[in-house]
Amino acid sequence: MDTEAAQRVSELRAARAETPARASAISLALPYLALLAVAILFPLFGGGYWGVIATRACVYWVLVSGLNLVVGFAGQIAIGWVALLTLGAYTTSVFAAGNVMAPLPPYLALAIAAVVGAIFGLIVGLPALRLRTFYFAITTLGFATIVTQVALAWQSVTGGGVGVPGPVFPDPFASQWGFYYFCLALAAICTWMTANVAASRFGRALTAIRDAEVAAEASGIAKPRLLGTVFLFAGATAAIAGGLFASLQSYITPDAFTLDLSVLFFIAILIGGRSSILGPLLGTILLTVLPEFAAPLVAWSTFLYAVLLLVIVLAMPGGIAELLDFKNRRPLQSNRAIVPRPDLVARLLDAQGDTGTLTLDQVALSFGGVHAIDGLDLKIQPGRVHGLIGPNGSGKTTTLNVISGYYAPQRGAVMLGGKALPALAREARAHMRIARTFQTPRIVGSASVLENVMIGGTIDGRGTFVESLLSLPRHWRDEAKLRDTAMLALSAVGLERLAPVRADRLQHAELRFIEIARALMLRPRFLLLDEPAAGLSGEEIARLATLLLAIARAGTGVLLVEHHPDLIFDICHEVTVLNLGKTLAAGTPAEIRSHREVVNAYLGG
Amino acid sequence: MPLSRRQLLSSGAAAIASTIAKPAIAAKEPILVGYLPALTGPSSSTGVGINRGTLLAVQEINASGGIDGRQIELITRDTQSDPTKAVNGAAELTRGQKVSVVFGPLNSGESLAVVPLLARTNTPQVHPCWVDSLTDPKKYPMCFRNAPTNQQIGGAANRYVVDVLKQKKVAVISDTTGYGTASVNAYAPMLKAKGAEVVYTGNVDAANPDLKPELLRMQSAGAEAIMPWSVNAGFLSRIINTRGQMGWDVPIVGQTTLGSGQTQALLEKPEYWAKVYPNNFRPVCYTPDGKLTDRTAAFLDRLKSAKIEMGDTLLWWIALGYDSPRMIAEAMKAVGTEPDKVVGYLNNLKQFAGVYGDMSFTPDRHDGYPDEQVVMVEANSLNNGAFKLAPGYSA
Amino acid sequence: MVTSIVLSGTAMGCIYALIAVTYNVMFSASRVFSFTAGTLGMIGGVLGSLFILRMGMPIALGFLLALAGGALLGIVTEIVAVRPVLKSLDQHLYVLSTLALALMVQQFTAIEWSTEPAPFPRLFDIPRAEFDQQFWLPMLACAFVIVSLELLYRYTLIGHAFLAIAEDNYAARALGLPERRLRMTSFAIAGAIGALAGFAGGEMLLAFFANAPMLTFYGFVPVALGGMGNNRGAVVAGLLLGLFQQSANFLVGGIFASVAVFTVFIIVLLARPNGLVGSALQRRV
Repeated sequence: MDTEAAQRVSELRAARAETPARASAISLALPYLALLAVAILFPLFGGGYWGVIATRACVYWVLVSGLNLVVGFAGQIAIGWVALLTLGAYTTSVFAAGNVMAPLPPYLALAIAAVVGAIFGLIVGLPALRLRTFYFAITTLGFATIVTQVALAWQSVTGGGVGVPGPVFPDPFASQWGFYYFCLALAAICTWMTANVAASRFGRALTAIRDAEVAAEASGIAKPRLLGTVFLFAGATAAIAGGLFASLQSYITPDAFTLDLSVLFFIAILIGGRSSILGPLLGTILLTVLPEFAAPLVAWSTFLYAVLLLVIVLAMPGGIAELLDFKNRRPLQSNRAIVPRPDLVARLLDAQGDTGTLTLDQVALSFGGVHAIDGLDLKIQPGRVHGLIGPNGSGKTTTLNVISGYYAPQRGAVMLGGKALPALAREARAHMRIARTFQTPRIVGSASVLENVMIGGTIDGRGTFVESLLSLPRHWRDEAKLRDTAMLALSAVGLERLAPVRADRLQHAELRFIEIARALMLRPRFLLLDEPAAGLSGEEIARLATLLLAIARAGTGVLLVEHHPDLIFDICHEVTVLNLGKTLAAGTPAEIRSHREVVNAYLGG
Repeated sequence: MPLSRRQLLSSGAAAIASTIAKPAIAAKEPILVGYLPALTGPSSSTGVGINRGTLLAVQEINASGGIDGRQIELITRDTQSDPTKAVNGAAELTRGQKVSVVFGPLNSGESLAVVPLLARTNTPQVHPCWVDSLTDPKKYPMCFRNAPTNQQIGGAANRYVVDVLKQKKVAVISDTTGYGTASVNAYAPMLKAKGAEVVYTGNVDAANPDLKPELLRMQSAGAEAIMPWSVNAGFLSRIINTRGQMGWDVPIVGQTTLGSGQTQALLEKPEYWAKVYPNNFRPVCYTPDGKLTDRTAAFLDRLKSAKIEMGDTLLWWIALGYDSPRMIAEAMKAVGTEPDKVVGYLNNLKQFAGVYGDMSFTPDRHDGYPDEQVVMVEANSLNNGAFKLAPGYSA
Repeated sequence: MVTSIVLSGTAMGCIYALIAVTYNVMFSASRVFSFTAGTLGMIGGVLGSLFILRMGMPIALGFLLALAGGALLGIVTEIVAVRPVLKSLDQHLYVLSTLALALMVQQFTAIEWSTEPAPFPRLFDIPRAEFDQQFWLPMLACAFVIVSLELLYRYTLIGHAFLAIAEDNYAARALGLPERRLRMTSFAIAGAIGALAGFAGGEMLLAFFANAPMLTFYGFVPVALGGMGNNRGAVVAGLLLGLFQQSANFLVGGIFASVAVFTVFIIVLLARPNGLVGSALQRRV
């Protein structure tokens, strides 16, 4: 092993030791432990009535913790989630009271409610995959109304307007404080589970879907499956919360499940801040407790929540979590330089194997009357940099989009090693080790640089969602491996010092290099770059050039769409010039530079 | 003869003793009475009316020295017609405020949730809600109802429709509250048992502005009488208005709120109020020769002098609100505020002289209102808060 | 029965269509859907009842003031809930800000006005007929608005300007169109249209704060089915919705009617997410 590389690796290990996983885990857990301690000791200083409020906060948090993954992490605007609370409350109560069959033990009724809730969570949530944001929000409202109306109409089972008594849990949970500890335990478990998900590749993938959907697709993240999983989970927790709610209220009627409740849950998450567990937890406690301080406040509570929501959206979209994000308040070093390490690139991209060529064969694509690509032939070989240049509107980015699966060619085929690539299968590209960057960097602003890069390696994880939920060993192994690989990728592009920094604090040039690091996580056979030099200084372009050459040397085929002729002519092995969707010229950089038509159409001078 | 030293001393001692004693009495803890009216929301007509009587009674009791020198402090939690808020309010009253007794909730839907809760906290409760299941001397030994039951109310109304008006095809509807739903469920079988044919039942969202579909369906089902059960004045007024707009000449017989001033205010035309027969209570109605009982007349004078508004509500609600704290006060005057003692007293209460009716309880029967006092009246005979008995109504 | 269904179905359909137009006008001006559309409808009814019944104003004055109130709320929506979030990177904040504003207005109305439906004045003092004013007023209002908007967009300069900023925001600004003022005006117009819907439909809907969430949903269905920004599609879809809903109402009854409407809507939307008319998805990469 190269001494320099060895030194680098030990530097890396030292860097990791500065923020060792275990120490940071404890400092992360501290606020939760403090809250838990207060909660456990609460009966000593809180009176009977505040016990009811505290229990209610725990019950609401059970629901909100699951909904947080849907709304806070995945960014789905599910306003009508009270439907699941209603469903869970009625299912538990009806089975415990024996309205359909012989009365069941309350725990069993609660378990059945969880299953029913999971299924309906999926049903209510699935439209999110087909519909635009606002449309989906409206359909969830529709579901909330449907469930309430069904509860009203199905008198034989739900008692209709009369309602049904809530389940009574047996000792030791029958007393007020006993029940409080039961709800507290469930709330604590939900906090632990969702915190585990947040710190797993699934949590990062959810955030990626929310803030950088195309990048998530390019990284191979399958939106339907992931969203389906969180909807199942959120439905189950909501239903369990419903059963607990019914027990707390000791009696439920359809009008207990108002839109106001739904709004409370939703706003608690947004006040708390997205992609956070602690924020929404504090938000839920705040919103549950706030109206209790003054009797008139109770009537105005929904108005207050709405005002809070407006203030947060306008002034502090990051919510409470942003307020508590102390480590991102520390000023960054100015005059930062990006210093890639080409030698580390080789370590990262080792063992490529024989992969074959990426070919475009007479590909054509039109948008209406515009021929975006008109019979294009392209051949990208592994280990070589292929430049694609041309005036604006010549079809460069469209070509890239066809290769990465955003558009299906109307004629011709895109082939990898002789086999045609399935059209429109964007996520599949990642599995074929075809990675790309974007014209405008698609970064998750609220996540750290390291997390952004780790998103690129999502498909390498082996552990399932449940294993992450329960913090099982394979989850930790995945995380360690992803973390190490991501640090290596960051070091390779020269940004390892910025690993813990929130990505939206970074400069444009740094974001471009982060995208490359993320793409490298896939250990790509082919790397497609969409104008990576745009907005970079001369020095940075030079460094980019060394990086790209290193990547090619390691065996990756690079397709470089660019406007900077210097970069193209410096590093490309072949260049194709496009004009109006057709190949104007193709050849080595020297040939292209002196080609008369190219000079006339594009290069000038 | 000048006062002897002993006399001086003893009178001085008495004077000192009385000054010491007075602060002690004045510093006596108030009696906390929890109160759960629905002062706002769709079912607030009961709360608004009852509240006036309650406040008046508490004021009077306190003005005349309270109960053994202790003032009654009424701790009010508006349930907003919402069972959930009623439960929260009840929890706060018992656990937070530690009240000695609870009066309310005033609507059945809210009581369905609160009664079991108060039973668990061993708090004596007096409520005027009608749904049958809301008292049960075994399950809820501390809960008393100082009002009629749905059986009593429905019995009187059904008797009027079937026996007096001689209509056999009946449409029974309600709103979607617990009270409405329970009432329809109770009354439909009662009607069938009387040999009537229930051609239509329905639970309608009270906020629905357009009741034409409902009435059209009733009409095509052949209904000859409409029996609505709801305390929502808006809802009831819309039923009456739609019947008038359709020009459909069938009697409306049902819930007492049909006759309230609130409902009257929402009618499109005063003539729409004809052939509307709500239930009410004999003590607060005009006798056939147009007179009120002495007790009621005195109460009316009392209300007038206290400038209490009557025109937008029902007299019997105000009377009920007036009677309830006085009944509780009587119990506490007799046996003190210990829950078991209060319950014990109420369990043996005979003929408590209320304005709107005399209450009696036994350990096996916690429904205090006498059957024979439930009557049907004619809505548009409203005069000074009281009604005339409905036509054809034999005493 | 059939006459009742047709009359009330068409009338309700026109009200829903007008709310849909409110959504569309706001959308055209800002590429944003605002939750306040349904609230505007509610405000029209409440203000009408407030000014005419409670405060005793003459009907014409109450009408104008109600429209003005709607326009004002429209402008407030633009300034408070739309403009600040348009420039943010997060495209979906507008859902939250408009939701917050709509909730604030609804709750305020519920607490200060009433939680119960209050009567709405009868606008023309003529006796009730089969084809009563409560039916033809919404139809008249809908026809008037649709025709006026067509004329506005097609024949006036300001109408062309509205279309320009809707079509290509950057080009319009580059041409020197006062984008901000145009957007505010659009929202004011939308506000007035929403208030008109509530006012014209006041006798059918009554002055009730809970009309807001109801109109938010039912007013959006024609938008979703007719295509975003497509006013003609909205009218057709609105009428279909009104007729379907009232048929269910009259034939089956309230609870099942609303479940039926929701279910059909969700199914249709899942089948055709871009509406029955359909439009291409924009380039995302």
